Amino acid sequence: MEIKIDVPVEPPKELETLFLPIPKDYVEDVYKKDDFLILVGPQHPGSGHMRLIVRVKGDIIQEVIPDPGYVHRSMEKLAENRLYIQNIPLVERPAIMDSANFNLGYVRAIETALDIEVPERAKFIRTILAELCRIGTHLYDAAILAVFLGHTTGFMYPFGIRELICEALARMTGARFTSSFIIPGGVRRDVDERTLRWVYDATFAIERRLKSFERIFIKNPTVIARLREVGVLSKDEAILYGVVGPFLRASGVEYDTRIVEPYEAYEEVTWDIVTADEGDGYARFLVRVNEVSQSLGIIRQCITSMPEGRYVSEQICDDVKGNFFDAYGNLVLPAGEYTTLTEAARGTLLFTIVSDGESNVPYRVRIVTPGWLYLRGFMESLKGERLADLQAIYGSFGYFPPEADR
Amino acid sequence: MINEIIATLIEIFSSNSMQIPLIQPLVDYLMEIPLLNILVALILWRPFFAVVIMPGLIVLMLYLLYIVWFERKLTARIQWRVGPLEVARPIRGAIQALADGLRYFFQEAIVHRDAHRPYFVQLPILAFIPILLPIAFIPAGNAVGIKTPYAIQLIVAFLALIPITIIAIGWASNNRFAFVGSVREALMYVAYEIPFIIAVISMIYLYGSGDPYVAVEKQSLLPGAILNPIAFLVFLITMLMATSRLPFEIPEADQEIAFGPFVEYSGMLFGLVMVLAYEKLYIMALLFVILFLGGWNGIYCDLLGDLNAPLWLFIKTIVVISILAIVRSMYARYRIDQTLRYSFSWLIAFSIVALVVGVVAGWIV
Repeated sequence: MEIKIDVPVEPPKELETLFLPIPKDYVEDVYKKDDFLILVGPQHPGSGHMRLIVRVKGDIIQEVIPDPGYVHRSMEKLAENRLYIQNIPLVERPAIMDSANFNLGYVRAIETALDIEVPERAKFIRTILAELCRIGTHLYDAAILAVFLGHTTGFMYPFGIRELICEALARMTGARFTSSFIIPGGVRRDVDERTLRWVYDATFAIERRLKSFERIFIKNPTVIARLREVGVLSKDEAILYGVVGPFLRASGVEYDTRIVEPYEAYEEVTWDIVTADEGDGYARFLVRVNEVSQSLGIIRQCITSMPEGRYVSEQICDDVKGNFFDAYGNLVLPAGEYTTLTEAARGTLLFTIVSDGESNVPYRVRIVTPGWLYLRGFMESLKGERLADLQAIYGSFGYFPPEADR
Repeated sequence: MINEIIATLIEIFSSNSMQIPLIQPLVDYLMEIPLLNILVALILWRPFFAVVIMPGLIVLMLYLLYIVWFERKLTARIQWRVGPLEVARPIRGAIQALADGLRYFFQEAIVHRDAHRPYFVQLPILAFIPILLPIAFIPAGNAVGIKTPYAIQLIVAFLALIPITIIAIGWASNNRFAFVGSVREALMYVAYEIPFIIAVISMIYLYGSGDPYVAVEKQSLLPGAILNPIAFLVFLITMLMATSRLPFEIPEADQEIAFGPFVEYSGMLFGLVMVLAYEKLYIMALLFVILFLGGWNGIYCDLLGDLNAPLWLFIKTIVVISILAIVRSMYARYRIDQTLRYSFSWLIAFSIVALVVGVVAGWIV
């Protein structure tokens, strides 16, 4: 039974001064209909700065309007004023945990333009880097999800495990992340046998530690109670709202860019595409957890079947060492538009480079990040849930504002 | 004149003083010294000893220093971290809580413009009253503040007052997070209080009296936890809910509502409200030990004399609380509606079963 009490409610004056990206009469409409507007953010204790304008009726969310852009760094415009090779450290910045995948997407666009054939060994090394970064990102997102649910042990364990990933990246490339290791035509340096051996052993150490994470967090009844049947996106909805990556696969759609348009060494290793049917928060989390074990398998296969040979293409130069700037400084792409799709950790990542064919800087670089693509689905899945679930759903999507805002 | 008053006071104190053979020579020596003797007699006076020393205020303060450090250290060890270490390295950062307390003491306590100033400042201090009052009624063997056969009922009644002060704190803060926090606290209060009271009533039925002495005496063979395990479980879960420990840390959820009712507090006032839940936990754990773990029953040591009972009560309480500290690193937070559903279905059902068990067991025993 609903009891109606006629109390004249005025919209608070403060809402006028907060520069809300919504029409003025929307605010009045909300307050006339016995709803409330709650502003979550922009100083959110989560993974970045974004404001969510939540319209609630009682405890139930009616509608959520996102207000992103607080960490917009104008990557695309900055990229127009730098040499092609100087853009590599720039395009890694949107998601620093996922740097290798972003790096890979941009470099592959240049390679398509220049028609460079990448040596097999470089392809394998690139795959290892991409998968290491994927594991690191999934662990980071799991940690953020855990701390959203108030589970501090679930926050510390993935960060503890991620140290191994950082160490592996540091041994292979020299930097814990944002290594700018992937360059057009190959990789910066060769990776020796001992380092690969270490990474191979580290995958087993990660697997062992993940078991204790599973005991304390993944199979924890309180976690399952918070995530199951929360923020459900059905298969049709997920396709309609253009959700990408593991979140699309959690709704039962078998789509993975690594399968559909294989790049690098993904054709030469065996791995399964991870899907779930429920489409709720727990499914989205489990898909990423299972993807971590698939990625570990890919890394092991890459290391055991690592071919010998060059690490950078002959089309660029004989040896990058010592003449890096000579080789890449005057890179000019033929006129045209070159697009690549990459499966980054959080979903499909699109890089488009437009070149005018005569200058050594890109005419236009377009980056569409997975965060930006699944924002709509994220907002839709919040409808009808409780306000306390907002954090759980936020964490289950692993939404990362710096990545979405670019 | 003054000498006579002092002599009368010493006589009153000495007639009912703690007999501790271990420190008896020292007490005898100190009693010879004028003015110091009245102090010693007062400290050893049983009601004073129970309320102020043990299990009362001073031990409460020591417990607070210990539990804040221990909880952080334990959580850190579970989470592959080190925890508090830098303050007093040789004792592994054990006085970290003291250092934090000192910092709070010298920090500016800001009272924001929207707050209801008198209540905002008074309530953290007023909240101590329902915490300190039960201490007067909790006996530890011979050391007891106020001896009454209704002690257990009185303790439960005073415990029920604490959430009211927290709700008032949220109201006086006049902040939307504080408001949401106090509404959650009110809902939690409804959720845990009924099963909690039924569980206590079942134990009162079992022992046939609300007198802690009778309760402890009846547990000389078997502890209450074995006599009525269901009431034991219900009490344990409601204790977690009442002190907002982690699976039910809903009123203070810092990721959702930024420490709830206490969001506006700073400085000394924050120090006061922060330890509120720990103090409540201490009182509830004392009640828990008396009802379920045999109270001050334990191995009797002749040298300690009257100190045996308070010491055993304190040790058992500390052990219970130290075990409870582990839940913080084990569980995520439930949602408020899940907790209410869980409480109004399972917990009340279990508590009624516990009541039946209590009545039947009380009839047999």
